[in-house]
Amino acid sequence: MFVSQSMTKQVVTIGKDSDVYEALNIMKENRIRHLPVIDSDNLLIGIVTERDIRSALPREAFKKGSKGENAEPKSQLKAKDIMSIDPITVSPQFTIHDALLLIQRSRVGALPVVGENNRLKGILSVRDLLRAFINVLGIGDPGTLICVIVKDEMGQMKKLVDAISQENISMGSIMVARYWEEGKRAVFPYLLTQNVMGIKKKMVEIGFEILDPMEWYLDQLPQSRDE
Amino acid sequence: MKKTGFLYDDRFLLHLTGEFHPEVPERLTAIYNGIDDAGLMSGLTRIEAEPAEMEWIQTVHTEYYISSLRNACLSAEKTFHCPDNQMCESTFDIACLAVGGLLKTADLLMEGDIDNAFCAVRPPGHHAEPGQAMGFCYFANVSILAKYIQKKWGIKRIGIVDFDVHHGNGTQHIFQEDPTVFYYSIHEHPTFSFPGTGREFEEGKGAGVGFTKNSPILPGGGDEEYKKSFKKDLFPAFASFRPQMILVSAGFDAHAGDNMSGIKLSTPGYSWIMKRVYEMADIYSDGRLISILEGGYSLKHLPELAGNHVNILMNGG
Repeated sequence: MFVSQSMTKQVVTIGKDSDVYEALNIMKENRIRHLPVIDSDNLLIGIVTERDIRSALPREAFKKGSKGENAEPKSQLKAKDIMSIDPITVSPQFTIHDALLLIQRSRVGALPVVGENNRLKGILSVRDLLRAFINVLGIGDPGTLICVIVKDEMGQMKKLVDAISQENISMGSIMVARYWEEGKRAVFPYLLTQNVMGIKKKMVEIGFEILDPMEWYLDQLPQSRDE
Repeated sequence: MKKTGFLYDDRFLLHLTGEFHPEVPERLTAIYNGIDDAGLMSGLTRIEAEPAEMEWIQTVHTEYYISSLRNACLSAEKTFHCPDNQMCESTFDIACLAVGGLLKTADLLMEGDIDNAFCAVRPPGHHAEPGQAMGFCYFANVSILAKYIQKKWGIKRIGIVDFDVHHGNGTQHIFQEDPTVFYYSIHEHPTFSFPGTGREFEEGKGAGVGFTKNSPILPGGGDEEYKKSFKKDLFPAFASFRPQMILVSAGFDAHAGDNMSGIKLSTPGYSWIMKRVYEMADIYSDGRLISILEGGYSLKHLPELAGNHVNILMNGG
């Protein structure tokens, strides 16, 4: 649940005097978009993103197939000229929830992870968060997702989980989402089975509604305007 | 009219899956009766199963996996690897018999005794992974058959068409790096259906990139969506791959009357699909086509679907 467990620990970094083309090559080679800029003591002094480089270099540098390292002239620009100083960071003790909310609010693609004295410990990217969530959703394992509409009151979840247990079905995950109808919730159990006919029938028998898949939705949060 | 083989063996009924399980012996009986009631049985070349030699099963499965399954049956385990895979003491033997029957069918076809075939086998196979039983499947029937045809009969390019409503994760994984076997699957979208693989962007790996194609269909989809995907995804793929043998993973669970999915293919829709596969076999593979049963759980609809299926193999529809 902590950033320290989900972050990438082998961080690819550059120094502040690195050439911008060199930074671009490092990104291409490692298929990453964020390069923390550190000093000789491993202290974080900034971050260079692919977008920073794109705005700083002529468009030709990004042509398909361009390898950068062969013909590109050395740029006058160095990392320190284009990096963001004081990037938003998290500490290894932050939780994944902290990181999710922070990434949503700050609209960045990655957060450098720093310990005391701003020493770089790792980096947490949207990709790392996605991996964590694919894991908790359980969708790496074979199974079937169903959507059950339940009343928004105590004891409903127990009833639902009891029914699943009685059918001897394991669950990969269970998600709860708001439902447009007041007083109801949409529950999504991910069942680790191919055979969901029996459990679906049982759900209806005990008073739940099984929602047609084409009506499923996960959230009605307003989309942030820039996305 | 083609000489069509029909692999069926009463011993396939001996794999028992216990109470409340959809993959039951009655499925095969329904299929057999449907073909018989359609008056087609006398025109078929009947094939009885023989146990497969282990070396062929080992082309796909690990020795450890094979012996674990054998031991689970010997110790009368009721399930294997997952509660879905309910079984009995005969399961291992019947699974070997199913594979062996397929290999025998391939021999008959390659020796010219038959032109094509329908193999009504149990247990099914397309979810089985090299070391993992899954989704009622123990041995990867179609994959083992493909390897056998390549190794024993020297056929280089094999095209697999899987229209079971669930994605054939096993078949895909087994051949995902192999450019000599093209795996095409059309199935209910994996977000809404077991096993959760077979997304549009899964297109093979390494040397096999471009030799896997998936057409996920959203719940509620049926004939129209299937026809569109066949035209857009399968026809061009096979036109360029030019399979020298076509294998079909025939699942009848995409039918509107089958509760295992939200896909609503009609009976004529199923016939349309099989006719197109039959035509592709004529164009690319000299008619060589073996269809192998996977899923399909509606005892009400299986007879007619199986009758139509076999009729198309014999008469082109």
